Amino acid sequence: MSETAVRPDDTATADLDAELGRAEARRDRAERRRGLLIALPAYAYMVLFFVVPLFIVLLYSFATRTSTGSTSLSGWNLDSYTRLAEPIVRNVVFRSAVLAFITTVICLVVAYPYAYLAATRSTTIRNLMLIAVMIPFWTNFLVRNYTWRLLLSNGGPISSFTERIGLGETSLLFTQTAVVIGLVYSFLPFMILPLYASIDRLDWRLVEASRDLYASGVQSFRKVILPLTMPGVIAGSILVFVPSMGAYVTPELLGGGKQPLLGSYIVTQFLTARNWPFGASLSFVLMAVMLVSTIVYFRSGGKNL
Amino acid sequence: MTTERAAAAVALRGVSKHYGDVIAVDAVDLDIHDGEFFALLGPSGCGKTTTLRMIGGLEIPSSGSLQIFGEEVGPLPPNKRPVNTVFQSYALFPHMSVQDNVGFGLKMSKASKSEIADRVAQAIGLVRMNGMEQRRPAQLSGGQQQRVALARALVNRPKVLLLDEPLAALDLKLRQDMQFELKSLQREVGITFVFVTHDQEEALSMSDRIGVMDQGRLLQIGSPEDIYDRPINRFVADFIGRSNFLEGTLEDITTVCLANGSRIAVPPVPPDVAATGSPVQVSLRPERVMIGGRDEAPESAARIDGVVEATTFLGSSQVYLVRLDWMTLEVRSGNRPGRHRHEVGDEVSLWWAPDAIAVVRP
Repeated sequence: MSETAVRPDDTATADLDAELGRAEARRDRAERRRGLLIALPAYAYMVLFFVVPLFIVLLYSFATRTSTGSTSLSGWNLDSYTRLAEPIVRNVVFRSAVLAFITTVICLVVAYPYAYLAATRSTTIRNLMLIAVMIPFWTNFLVRNYTWRLLLSNGGPISSFTERIGLGETSLLFTQTAVVIGLVYSFLPFMILPLYASIDRLDWRLVEASRDLYASGVQSFRKVILPLTMPGVIAGSILVFVPSMGAYVTPELLGGGKQPLLGSYIVTQFLTARNWPFGASLSFVLMAVMLVSTIVYFRSGGKNL
Repeated sequence: MTTERAAAAVALRGVSKHYGDVIAVDAVDLDIHDGEFFALLGPSGCGKTTTLRMIGGLEIPSSGSLQIFGEEVGPLPPNKRPVNTVFQSYALFPHMSVQDNVGFGLKMSKASKSEIADRVAQAIGLVRMNGMEQRRPAQLSGGQQQRVALARALVNRPKVLLLDEPLAALDLKLRQDMQFELKSLQREVGITFVFVTHDQEEALSMSDRIGVMDQGRLLQIGSPEDIYDRPINRFVADFIGRSNFLEGTLEDITTVCLANGSRIAVPPVPPDVAATGSPVQVSLRPERVMIGGRDEAPESAARIDGVVEATTFLGSSQVYLVRLDWMTLEVRSGNRPGRHRHEVGDEVSLWWAPDAIAVVRP
């Protein structure tokens, strides 16, 4: 602390410090090596089943479609990427984005109060509410979508109900409304769980502090609770928006495929139009756009936390 | 006592708080005067924080009346009360700058932009945090967070400022500095401070008056000197400072017969502390007891003879454990020049002035 003369044993101490530092660095390296070894199976799995297929998709997107509809892995070109600018593609992308956005907003509005309630109740009620969220997962995804088909069909339970209470028959099946209902139903848990996690982590003393500083309940929510649970809102929105944007089964079964969405459109390219390079480029661009917007979203949200 | 006085800053009448079968606060009566620095002191779980939270509106009393400057506030939510709180953990908003934290209350009460700017700057100056306005709480040290929390509360000019163990999270040196700072800040702004602490030294050094709580009940209210010199029962005497307790019986209002049969003179014992003939304890503060060789004790004073059993040097003082024939007494002797130091095994006499002791309920 004070600027006294160097004592003779100072150099010895420095040597010892350096030696200890080196020993620590060695230990750190050994620790890292061990960590890498443990993670190796996971890495191998990801490379084999994620990176390699992705690379194949990327490769195919530059390939040529022969006149017979097969794909020739030669004559590399950017044709399938130039096709992305066509109006029909733009329409499909726009329609999918709007539906995914509506789905996300509805999920957020429904999930926030539910998650808030679950996070602020006693342990028993909280567990019951969380189990209720997970129960649908115990049934096959396809079965659940077919169930909605039954519920929404003309003369189905929902239609007869609205008829009985004097609102007339409803024919929801094969409309965009049906698609949104199906998507909200399917992806709601992905919104509830991250929201629940961030509300559960919320420091309630901050809420008390805001009330003490003259904030009403509503002001306290807007100025403290919502900003502090924003990580959950962002994570939930991404988890709902991204799969909604590329959804295939639900729009097919409940939307009747009349107005194709991105997922169906890509499937069509691969199976019906037999244009693999175009399907591959669509998939790849969709993924790239999602990745970039996710990064941007996280960065912008991260600043406030 | 019916002195002519304006309404108390905070008045509690039979205020209780129950959580199911648990009684956190049990029928507390308390008047806190305007402009005073009042400490609620007690061990953890004694109900002091619950009492503070009821004044702040963060808990609603189960029964009783709670008034702030004559206005009944029992069921009012916190945002409708003219009080602000400095929380134990500071509870600064992590997503806001220092400036926005301090300005939060004014913004919520819809003050104009220019007024907010002026008063926030003034409050930040008051706690000497100039130049840190744009920092986030995470970028501040504990002491700095503490200052921001103070500024955030004081900027609203509350009628009463509530402080919930605001110094508990600071290290010793900083805590001592902040004690003086808080005290002088309170004089400067002239606001009533109600302060919750479990640290008796903190309470003694800072407060005008102290209320000692235990198990939900308010045991004694008084100035630091009152509480220290004239504790009403063993709990208060034991909690505030260190003390020796000699068991005995009150023979008449100025005499206690100790367990070993010897009689000592005591200051007159008021009937509300103990009735004649009832068992009492004599509280003898270690630093009030004189120690010396067998021949040094003055004839007039009460004295007990013993043998030094152990001794510890504390720098500013020397502590002796003196073995009597029926108990051991702790004695603390100031480290003054020329003072003879006794060794283990020395035969010594202990004596004290009659007003050095207090008779308390067991």
